[in-house]
Amino acid sequence: MAVKPIKVSQLNNYIKRILQTDPILGNISVTGEISNFRKPGRNAHAYFSLKDQTSSVRCFLSGDKYACLDFELEEGMEVIVHGFIYLHIPNGQYSINISVIEAAGQGDLAAAFAQLKAKLAAEGLFDQKYKKAIPGFPHKVAVVTSASGAAVRDIQKIIRQKNDYVDILIYPVLVQGVNAAGEISAAIDDLNENHKDVDVMIVGRGGGSAEDLWAFNEEIVARSIFRSQIPVISAVGHETDFTIADFVADLRAETPTAAADKAVPDTFLMREYLAELQIEMKRNLRMVMEDRRKALALCDPHSFGRDIQSRIAMEQMRAETLRAEMEKQVAGKVSECRHRLALLKETLDGADPKRILQKGYSVVTDETGHIVKDASLLKCDQMIKIEAAAGFAEARVTKAGKER
Amino acid sequence: MSEQKDFETVLKKLEETSQKLKSEEISLADAIKSYEEGIKYYNECNDILEKASQKIETLTK
Repeated sequence: MAVKPIKVSQLNNYIKRILQTDPILGNISVTGEISNFRKPGRNAHAYFSLKDQTSSVRCFLSGDKYACLDFELEEGMEVIVHGFIYLHIPNGQYSINISVIEAAGQGDLAAAFAQLKAKLAAEGLFDQKYKKAIPGFPHKVAVVTSASGAAVRDIQKIIRQKNDYVDILIYPVLVQGVNAAGEISAAIDDLNENHKDVDVMIVGRGGGSAEDLWAFNEEIVARSIFRSQIPVISAVGHETDFTIADFVADLRAETPTAAADKAVPDTFLMREYLAELQIEMKRNLRMVMEDRRKALALCDPHSFGRDIQSRIAMEQMRAETLRAEMEKQVAGKVSECRHRLALLKETLDGADPKRILQKGYSVVTDETGHIVKDASLLKCDQMIKIEAAAGFAEARVTKAGKER
Repeated sequence: MSEQKDFETVLKKLEETSQKLKSEEISLADAIKSYEEGIKYYNECNDILEKASQKIETLTK
């Protein structure tokens, strides 16, 4: 039966999916000779082929990886590339997308190292998210190293100089030779299984040749370190030595001595710090109390009484001032009244009838004693009384009228 | 593991308490309470450090 035809792009997409989901093609190492290589420009990607006697395959190396290479790529050079197969949909050609490239003939160890490193990195064993924190105050430190090397002595010396609290558990293992990796790995597993009171472990050894340090590049060690529930500090060789163990460990120390320093806090400084805290707390409490005491002093009854007394004195002064003011005002009023009185008396004096009489006037009254204001009302023969300034006379009216 | 957590936890509490005591607005009652707590934490930390009897052990196979 005929299958329905598909488009080219569908075909390429389908092949791409198959190629790029294949577990082997997703992480491969290929050795071959570089051909068709042209030096790329700045920041440009490098494209070349890898070939052997009968076949060739396209390769792609990104610009940033190319820039980081510590050797020059050349036409005809034997190399090992690690990476994955990538299919370019527009032309259906596949290539190796290179993550690591190294010159062949560097020695098997270097190649194995690069290969394992690439593999474990791809698996995520070096991811930061898996790194466990080194405890701040460990009770027990395990040291997985050779019982006879300088490293174990250095580590003990540094720890004891710095920390008189932490227990040290030395776990002796071979650190070189064919059995070393197995022993190191077993020790890490055993500590996790049977020594759960260990808070942190140092795994390492002193300096040596690349071959001497090799156990720490073995996958079995890396796996145990990664699996360990107890945080692991790696301490292999010198500062310039980097092993797979260093990449997997929760913390890499440059040397065993540095590892010891990183593993434990300084208990002597810790005691000083505690004592400082205690003194500081005392001082602060004293300050708070002193503060409150001062506040209280401001409210005590004596100063309260003093306050009231001065208040009273002030009020008294105020009253006194008011009184003086009032006195002055009253006195002013009195003298004003006196003055007015004198004026009135003068007016009154001016109006005294006796004084008028003295000027020669007389007062005429009728029989009833009423002062005669209208003489025309008097009748003939009516008796009237005349009073002068001095003396009086009674008279009889002889004539009275309106006009004279 | 649990004891180790204790030292760090207690030390942290001690630091927090000490910090609280530095506050300007703390009441006298709180200050005294904090101080007593702080001294308690201080003693706990100190006890842990003082009972230090470092053991060094080498496993034999």
